[in-house]
Amino acid sequence: MISIRNISKSFNGHKVLDGVSVDIEDGEVVALIGPSGTGKSTFLRSINLLEHPDTGELEIDGKTYDLAHASKDETLEIRRSTAMVFQQFNLLRNRTALQNVMEGLTVVKHVPKAQARERALRELRNVGLEEWSDHYPQHLSGGQQQRVAIARALSMDPRLLLLDEPTSALDPERVNEVQRTIAVAAAAGNTMLLVSHEMGFVRSIASRVIFLEDGRIVEQGSPEEIFGNPHTDRLRDFLSSFERYGVDHSDSGILTNTAWQAQEARRKEHEREDFALEAV
Amino acid sequence: MPDLFNGKLVFTQIPQLLRYLPVTLELTLAAGIIGLVLGFIIALIRVKRTPVLYQISTVYISVLRGTPIIVQLYISYFGIPIFLKYLNYWNGTDWDINNVPPVLFAILALAFNQSAFMAEVIRAAITAVDSGQLEAARSLGMSPAQVRRRVILPQAGVIALPGLMNSLIGLIKGTSLAFVCAVVDMTAAGQIMAGSSYRYFEMYCSLAIIYWVITLVLERAGAWLEHRLSVPEQAPALRQVTEAVPEQAERTPSLPERGTVRRLPALNRQGITALAGTVGKEAIARD
Repeated sequence: MISIRNISKSFNGHKVLDGVSVDIEDGEVVALIGPSGTGKSTFLRSINLLEHPDTGELEIDGKTYDLAHASKDETLEIRRSTAMVFQQFNLLRNRTALQNVMEGLTVVKHVPKAQARERALRELRNVGLEEWSDHYPQHLSGGQQQRVAIARALSMDPRLLLLDEPTSALDPERVNEVQRTIAVAAAAGNTMLLVSHEMGFVRSIASRVIFLEDGRIVEQGSPEEIFGNPHTDRLRDFLSSFERYGVDHSDSGILTNTAWQAQEARRKEHEREDFALEAV
Repeated sequence: MPDLFNGKLVFTQIPQLLRYLPVTLELTLAAGIIGLVLGFIIALIRVKRTPVLYQISTVYISVLRGTPIIVQLYISYFGIPIFLKYLNYWNGTDWDINNVPPVLFAILALAFNQSAFMAEVIRAAITAVDSGQLEAARSLGMSPAQVRRRVILPQAGVIALPGLMNSLIGLIKGTSLAFVCAVVDMTAAGQIMAGSSYRYFEMYCSLAIIYWVITLVLERAGAWLEHRLSVPEQAPALRQVTEAVPEQAERTPSLPERGTVRRLPALNRQGITALAGTVGKEAIARD
């Protein structure tokens, strides 16, 4: 269980985050949605201290860190137990795909080179890019770069994977491959906190959706609650803005509404099965 | 036709001049290395904006870039002996300025001059490294020292290289002024030789050729280094994945083991598998 508590952050007197707290169970995929400039990215970046919040606490496996006053060692510790996937991929441009994935293993975790290499190749295989391991980022498409970035993040065995608009910088035809890769990582049980503007994707992958506006949590719940039955006007307004531009948030390319409903039914069935199994 | 220009002499006297090439190279190498190290330190001060040192570095760079190198050489040549005498006076020591080889004055002046130019090149290169690269490294948990060593230095180095080469080429030519510090370098030797033969024009032509060839060699070396350090333009061939794919490959893409899934609270399993299912082979077989 990972607990993020009371993160606040002001830029030049403007309050971007106002005491946001999120608890994440192991294996959960929590998605943050909300209008641009509401502090979603700042929230993510405050967790691994790429941004320094004014207040905030992070609890990982019973150990609590004061994010506002983290020491250098604590900062490194936090960053080593979280991993981040950036909007702009940020692969080291003077390293090949394989070297990029190995970098954290050898430099930060001091894994012997041969072992790190093996692990990195496996991670690249998992994202479908083993053949591309000798390519430099500039030789890869945006989607491929992002998949390498995901492999790099996962190679560190993070307790929490932070994804900051992972598909926003991609060409539309590359979005799907990255979303699938993230879904695979989710299926493998990685705990994730995701910021995304792709409502269809959020709806299919998230176990919980948090709607953030003006630095506060306005509403949160399961994807079906948030998208199917929004309680607040602000969330309704936000979701309708996707429809206004001809994109149905419930149907943006990944799952159709009917498919969604069918899936829901199947899901409930599975849950019953699981329940039955547990009872045995 | 009168013997106004002896074209042959331009080339035949080159070997004589080359006897003084080591002096020129020594000046270049020493001033270049000291200038690089000093320039690097100054660049760091400027990037970090270290108080006091930052202000000093601003003045330092401004003065050294804003005064002619020949003036700096003279200041070094006349100033250091005066400084030494004051030191002797204050400390009661008895250092003899005549024991200091004149080449040292030239090296110091050229090195300080270089450091000012190189500092600006290096500072610009460091700030040109994309902040996303640093964030990526930091987010992996690298310490600031590791980020500097593994990300900033190599990337800034590639960016700085052409500017540093430029500066070095300027330095080589700057060494030709070392005669004002009583150093007999190639140019000074040429002047002395021409003084007895009055073949000044031929002498300067010979010198021009030598300096140009040295610069040419440096340019080529710089281009080679730049090429070596930068990312190859051509994409490599795809790696042959010969390794037999483990047994999971045979399985259709599926959910992780049931037990694993059940541990995941409220996981949007169907949504995830609908997406993940198409990705292929053992994608899910992550451990």
